[in-house]
Amino acid sequence: MTTTTRSRGTVPRAMTENENAIDVRGLRREFPGGVVAVDEIDLNVREGEVFGILGPNGAGKTTTVRMLTTLLKPTAGRATIGGFDLERDQRAIRRHIGVALQEAGLDPIATGREILEVQAQLFGIGMTEAKRRASELLELVSLSDAADRRVETYSGGMKRRLDLASALVHRPRVLFLDEPTEGLDPASRQTLWREVERLNAELGVTVVLTTHYLEEADHLADRLAIVDQGRIVSEGTPVALKAEIGGSVVTVEVEPTRREQSRDALGRLDGLREVRADATGLTLFVEDGSTFVPNVIRALDAAAIPVGAISVAQPSLDEVFLRATGSRLEGAEAESGQSDTEAAA
Amino acid sequence: MTAQAIAPEIVPWNSTRESLRAGWVLGVRELRTSIRTPAYLVPNLVVPIFFFFMMVGALEEFAVGFGIDNWKAFQLPVAIMFAAQGGSAGLNMVADIESGYLDKLLVTPASRISILLGAMAADLMRVTAQATIVLLVGAAVGVHFETGIAGALVLIVLSGLFGLSYSGFGFAMALKTGNAQSTQTVQFLFLPLLFLSTLFAPREALAGWLSTAATFNPLTYLLAGMRSLSMSGWDASDLGGAFLAVAILGTASISLALLAFRGRVR
Repeated sequence: MTTTTRSRGTVPRAMTENENAIDVRGLRREFPGGVVAVDEIDLNVREGEVFGILGPNGAGKTTTVRMLTTLLKPTAGRATIGGFDLERDQRAIRRHIGVALQEAGLDPIATGREILEVQAQLFGIGMTEAKRRASELLELVSLSDAADRRVETYSGGMKRRLDLASALVHRPRVLFLDEPTEGLDPASRQTLWREVERLNAELGVTVVLTTHYLEEADHLADRLAIVDQGRIVSEGTPVALKAEIGGSVVTVEVEPTRREQSRDALGRLDGLREVRADATGLTLFVEDGSTFVPNVIRALDAAAIPVGAISVAQPSLDEVFLRATGSRLEGAEAESGQSDTEAAA
Repeated sequence: MTAQAIAPEIVPWNSTRESLRAGWVLGVRELRTSIRTPAYLVPNLVVPIFFFFMMVGALEEFAVGFGIDNWKAFQLPVAIMFAAQGGSAGLNMVADIESGYLDKLLVTPASRISILLGAMAADLMRVTAQATIVLLVGAAVGVHFETGIAGALVLIVLSGLFGLSYSGFGFAMALKTGNAQSTQTVQFLFLPLLFLSTLFAPREALAGWLSTAATFNPLTYLLAGMRSLSMSGWDASDLGGAFLAVAILGTASISLALLAFRGRVR
C-alpha cells in the first residue's frame, strides 16, 4: 500500500496513551413515532477491556451498537471511538473497528473463504494478503475444513464463528459483538467465549459486547453497563455490582394471592434490607441468609401462608438488575418483559 | 494466529482507488452469485425469446398493412430490450438486506456508491450477456442487420446501458423498502411501459392518447435508435436520441438509488 494520499480528512491521528477506546456522551436515538430507543446514555470503554452491555430485549442495546458502528445516525449526543469522532470520521472509525452483528450477516451463496477474502479486500488489503488472512482466520475459528463450502450449509455456531472471523480481517482495535451467542447451544457458546477471551488477552483487542445472558456478562465482561428502557441503570465491574448489593439473597416462592400478605409478614424481620416481588414470589435482600431463613419460615408459618420453596444465594447480576429496575432479567423473555409493577414500589 | 500485537493498520486511504477496487471486488462477487443461481437467468431469457416468436409468428401479416416489410428486424430490438431489463433489478440487494450482509459491507470503509455500483456493474454484465443471446437467436432465424456486426455491437452496448439504467429503479426500490414484493413491481412496470411505446407500430402510425404516451416514453426513443440499426442503417439523430433517453433514465434511477441508500443509515 502506498503512503501517499490525496484524500481529505481521512489521515487518522494516533490515539494517545490515556485516551479511552470509546467515549459516549448523551447519545440518544429516537425513531419515527417518538419511540426513544436510547435515551441519552454516557459511557466510556477503556483500552483493552471487555465491556458488557447487559439488558433485556428492547432495552436499546442493538440500537446503541448500530449507532457506534456508523450504521445508524444518533438523534443527539457525541461519541469518539479510538479518538475518532463518530459524526466526522466515520471512515476512520470503520477501519478501526470490527463488527459482528446480531444476525450473522453472511452471503449464503458464498463460501466461508470467499466472504473473508471479499471483506479483507474491502478494507483495502491486497488479494495475496487477503487470501493469507482468510486462511489464518479460518484456522483461528476452526473452520478450515468447511472453508470451501457454501455458508448455507453451515450450522448456527459455524456462522457465528465465521462472522467473528470476518470482523477481524483488518485487525481491528475495537470489536463490537451484538448478542454473539444468541441462539447457540451451550458447547458453541463456550467455544465463542474462549475466542473472545483469547482475542482480548493475546491481541489486546478492546471488546464491546451486548447480551441478555447474565452468565455471559458475568463471565466475559471486565466492566458492565446494565441497561433498561434505553437508559443505563447501573455500571461497574460484575464483582463490584454484586458487592454493592452485599449480604445474601433469599428467594421465597408464594402464591401470587398471598404475596402482599407475605410481604407484610416478612417486612418486620430483623436483618432485612429490601423486598422485591416478582412473578414467582418474593426476593429478600438480607444481611445474613443463614440466620434469616429460619425467621422467614417462622413468620410465614405464624401467618398461615404456605411456602413453595426457599433458597439462599449470593447476589447475582440478576439481583443487581432486579434492584436497579424492579424486574428480573432471567426469564424476562418468557414473560415478554411484563414486570410486576408493584415491585418497584 | 500468534500473539502478535495488532498494528492499527490505518494507512492513508486513497478514496478514488479504493472505491474502484471495492466496486470491482463486489461486482465479481455479484457475478459469482448469479452464476451459482442459474435459475434466475432462465426466465430472463425464455420470456423475451417467447415474446419475439409470438409477435413474429402471429402479427407478421398485420405488419405488412403498417408498411413494415422487415417485421422481424422491427421486433428483435423489443426482445433484446426485454432481455436487457431482466437483470437482478435489485432483488440481489434485497437478499443482502434480508441476510444482513449489506450491514457487513456498510461497516467496511468502502463507499456507498462503490457498493451500489459494484452490484449494478454485475447487472450490466448479466444483461449484456442476456441481450447478446437474444440477438444471436434473432440472427439464427434470419434477422438481417442493416448496419452489420458493428451495428449489432452498438445495439448490445445500448441495451446493456438501458438494462443498467432500468435496474437502478429496482435498486432504489430495494434500498428504500428492503422488500422483494415492492422491488418486483419495478419489473412488472416494464410491460405497461413497453406497451405504451412503439411496440407494435412506428410512431407515425400511432394515434390518440397512445401517440401522446409514446412521445413521453423513453422506450420510444430507445426503440427508434435500436431499430435504426437493424432496419435502416446508421442514423445519428435516432442513435443520439436513444443514448440520450438512456442517459436521462440512468441519471434519474441511479440518483434515486443513492438517495435511498443514504436514507437507510438515517
